[in-house]
Amino acid sequence: MTDLLRAESADGDVVARAALGEERAVAQLYDRYAPVVYAVACRIVAEHADAEEVVAETFAQAWRDAPRFDPTRGSAAAWLVTIARSRALDAVRARTRRDRVAPAAVARGDDAPGMGRTDSDPADLVDLGERQKRVRDALEVLPPSQRQAIELAYYEGLSQSEIAERIREPLGTVKTRVRLGMLKLRDSLRPYFLEAAE
Amino acid sequence: MTDTHRSAPIDLAAAYALGALDPAEVKEFEAFLATSPEARRELAEFREVVALIGLGTDAKAALAGPSAALRARVLASAPSLQPPAGDDLAARRAAVAPRPRRPLRGALPLLGAALAASLLLVLNLRGDRQQLRRTLLGRDSALAAQTTALEARDSMLASLLEPGIAVYQLTASGNPVPGVQLFVSRARGRAVLHAFRLQSAPAGRAYQLWFIRDGKPVPSVTFNAGAAGEALIADIALPPGGTISAAAVTEEPAGGSAQPTTAIILVAPLPAS
Repeated sequence: MTDLLRAESADGDVVARAALGEERAVAQLYDRYAPVVYAVACRIVAEHADAEEVVAETFAQAWRDAPRFDPTRGSAAAWLVTIARSRALDAVRARTRRDRVAPAAVARGDDAPGMGRTDSDPADLVDLGERQKRVRDALEVLPPSQRQAIELAYYEGLSQSEIAERIREPLGTVKTRVRLGMLKLRDSLRPYFLEAAE
Repeated sequence: MTDTHRSAPIDLAAAYALGALDPAEVKEFEAFLATSPEARRELAEFREVVALIGLGTDAKAALAGPSAALRARVLASAPSLQPPAGDDLAARRAAVAPRPRRPLRGALPLLGAALAASLLLVLNLRGDRQQLRRTLLGRDSALAAQTTALEARDSMLASLLEPGIAVYQLTASGNPVPGVQLFVSRARGRAVLHAFRLQSAPAGRAYQLWFIRDGKPVPSVTFNAGAAGEALIADIALPPGGTISAAAVTEEPAGGSAQPTTAIILVAPLPAS
């Protein structure tokens, strides 16, 4: 855990060096967060090829915006995931077909997506695995209705009004579920994120 | 589905971080955000939660990971190593530096040959030298203009790099495009604004900067985007007295407004320290 926080604390510096084009920093940033960005993209766009395109677009935007990245306003992880979600949801909205492949099928793809991991630092993979477990645990203990509301917003880009329409519940109920669910996640996950300075 | 219970502005932070607010609520929350340090703290925390949900997403896909080909492609798209800004300035100065000996190197041998050959040729060479002198004077004039421009940039750079300058990024609904950077010296009560990727305001309209002082908007400069979508406004006065908590940009009539008449386009908190 301490190592994780130390790694995150150094992210601001890594982003700054990547903005100057330092190859090692660029590779470090990619290797540390590409798996996460890819996972978010997979869950939203549901296809390996589209998810890879989202990863490429996410980092292309990250390289452009890196000179203006402000570590006091949030971690590099929050910054990259925010970009990735936005790009992935845009891709889904732009897509006309509706027959999505189940996300689990992505992991069984034929084009050996796992090869890219050979460049990652094994310590980063251990940290990532530990963190994923903590987050999944936190999500699993949420009441199903709260988890559903958050996941519809997160992975399908629905507004609270659209969620209310989708699940046929009053808007006030949806708002309460989103807020309570997010508050619980914040409380259980706070030790795992880098507090943004005010 | 109707909403019979309006949420308090602070309670919108979680849904805002998720991108789940309706447009009217986004405007309401962003206006509140500009004036509330507590809302900014809440939002920063919920943004971390949103990132962490991503970290916990679909373990199977995450463990598979993106392909090696993608890694090579993304790393190839990264910026190449840039020299420090000072080197760039020095290089540009070197490019415009005077080179007085260069014309004479060609002129002197010719002059010697002309003296040996004929007076006419000497006269011609004198004409050439006068032409060279006029050329040099022209270059001196251009050099002086460039030097003045460089000195102005140096002055701007010095003011941006002085101790105590804080840099703030104004953003639009969390979207980094367009952007406005504000360099603020509270000690001198001045600021410099740099806007980029900005679309030109409609005819008869302009962007207006506001400072939020004691919770109320105070009008500042108006500006518009140049051809490259950029704007640079130096020497902006900060409103005197009170507590300035935020800066925001709205679109207003070209002459500016005393009070904002449209929704906030870009906003950033300006914490005191």
